[in-house]
Amino acid sequence: MVSSVNMAVDLGGIKMRNPLNTASGTFGNGLQFEGFYDVGATLGAITCKGVAAEPWDGNPAPRLAELPSAMLNSVGLQNPGVEGFVERYGSYLTGLREKGCQVICQIAGHSLDEYRRATELFEELAPFASGFEVNISCPNIAAGGAAMGGTPAAASQVMEAVRPLTKRPVIVKMAPHDVAEIGRALEAAGADGLSLINTIPGMAIDVHTRKSRVCRPTAGVSGPAIHAVAVRMVWECAQAVSIPLCGIGGVATGADAAEMILAGATAVSIGTANLYDPTCAPRILAELEDWAVEQGVSDINELIGAFEC
Amino acid sequence: MAHTDVSEHRYTVLSNEPVAEGVNRLRIESDVARTIRPGQFMNLQVLGDASHLLRIPLSFKRADAEKNEVELLFAVVGEGTQRLAKMAVGESSTLVGPSGRGWWLPEREGRALLVAGGIGLPPVLAAASMLAAAGVGFDAIIGARTASMLVHPDVDDVVGYGIADGAADASGGYDPERMVLVATDDGTAGHAGFTTEIMSKLVEKRSYAQVYTCGPAVMMAGVARLASERGVDCQVSMERMMGCGFGACSCCNVALAKGGNALCCQDGPVFDAQEVAW
Repeated sequence: MVSSVNMAVDLGGIKMRNPLNTASGTFGNGLQFEGFYDVGATLGAITCKGVAAEPWDGNPAPRLAELPSAMLNSVGLQNPGVEGFVERYGSYLTGLREKGCQVICQIAGHSLDEYRRATELFEELAPFASGFEVNISCPNIAAGGAAMGGTPAAASQVMEAVRPLTKRPVIVKMAPHDVAEIGRALEAAGADGLSLINTIPGMAIDVHTRKSRVCRPTAGVSGPAIHAVAVRMVWECAQAVSIPLCGIGGVATGADAAEMILAGATAVSIGTANLYDPTCAPRILAELEDWAVEQGVSDINELIGAFEC
Repeated sequence: MAHTDVSEHRYTVLSNEPVAEGVNRLRIESDVARTIRPGQFMNLQVLGDASHLLRIPLSFKRADAEKNEVELLFAVVGEGTQRLAKMAVGESSTLVGPSGRGWWLPEREGRALLVAGGIGLPPVLAAASMLAAAGVGFDAIIGARTASMLVHPDVDDVVGYGIADGAADASGGYDPERMVLVATDDGTAGHAGFTTEIMSKLVEKRSYAQVYTCGPAVMMAGVARLASERGVDCQVSMERMMGCGFGACSCCNVALAKGGNALCCQDGPVFDAQEVAW
């Protein structure tokens, strides 16, 4: 499709042919979607599932409960470690780059040392990575499981640990709280961009057994039910920082993606919708482009932050 | 690397009716029939309530590639399957599939034993069809909570599988050796008790090369243990809540005996019973 609107955007040095990205953990590593559409020819970028230096088993079953317009998950970042990830997906992801789709690798860790080790391994083994997304919501083992980046100071520490180890763009996946304050701290610590929001902590209790419906008392809520919260947080964060944002949270239509852009997002990730509507990305992209045309712009960048209060 | 054969297909309801207490038979027209294999599954989007996002993962009983037709049996247990039970003839939606790894033929020569519990029946019937087509003799044990929950005529058909069902049967149709035994928890049909009680006696009398089982987790664990004790290979079809059904979300983990987790939707649903941490 030849477009009259320039759809290309720059997410902190990650040059995307269009604003569409995928939320980590909802897209496998791209390959799982090849039967639905040509991933490399369609998306601006994909964000791979979070990977740590060493393999993680993840949480026990059950990891999932369905909620109205949402789901609750507690996967616990099951991953094969950087080496296993590169071995299984390296050649596929290299192929995506060749087709013009950027590949963002997500870094996970339980301690600053683990983040450093994962980053070093990625640097050594993953030439296909266009950039990195640091997941600062991982539990900090030394701090009794609190999020690694739960405060401005803690989030900065993670960013400062990773920053000197790579020249590639580094964006940070933010938890859904204090996004203006933590966003400013991450910008000062050298982040090239921010992606938000991660899932919102929630609970679902089986009232008959009095137990959680998933393996942990609290887990992450995602899906269309959280979209309005995500748009608000993107808007708040956009006013606090000058680095570009990737908006994430319940995006299921072109209008949802357009809201994120108007609120201040440069790129937009599709998350939970990939799971229940795996062919949605090409449709959302077409709808987004139609919207840009309708808005009468020649460049989608003109619409970033164009929300009128 | 595989899994790229999973795609989205339209389906249209050909028939949808109750056939036992809490069980519906659903026949759909869909071109997934051309590629789906016994033991694989599909993820149906059900019309009627947009606030329920997730598709319903269902295994199937039989697929007819020439007619583009798939026959499923499903338990009407939750909000989603209640909505599915209301889908009318001619209504249409989409499904994602074929998903996962299905049954494989026995690796050793000899007879197979099928053990189905409750709504574990449809994939076991698909295994029966696969074995009949390959000329592998088998016996079957079919369990349900009570007689009214047994699905007829499917249970009876297993006796003459390959004839009554119209499937190709390379062994020449009816197998005079075939034993089909029924168990109900309350004794209203067949043996009063569990399928595993029948199995423990049957394996004393006959030797098997391969067991195929699907049903409640506790039953499959018992079947796997009995098979293991006698050195018989055992395939189990596992069930999990699923977010996507094709390997994207990692929500449907199955703990492995060697440590770590596999994904039910992509590495299973059929596993070698010895791989699973029971």
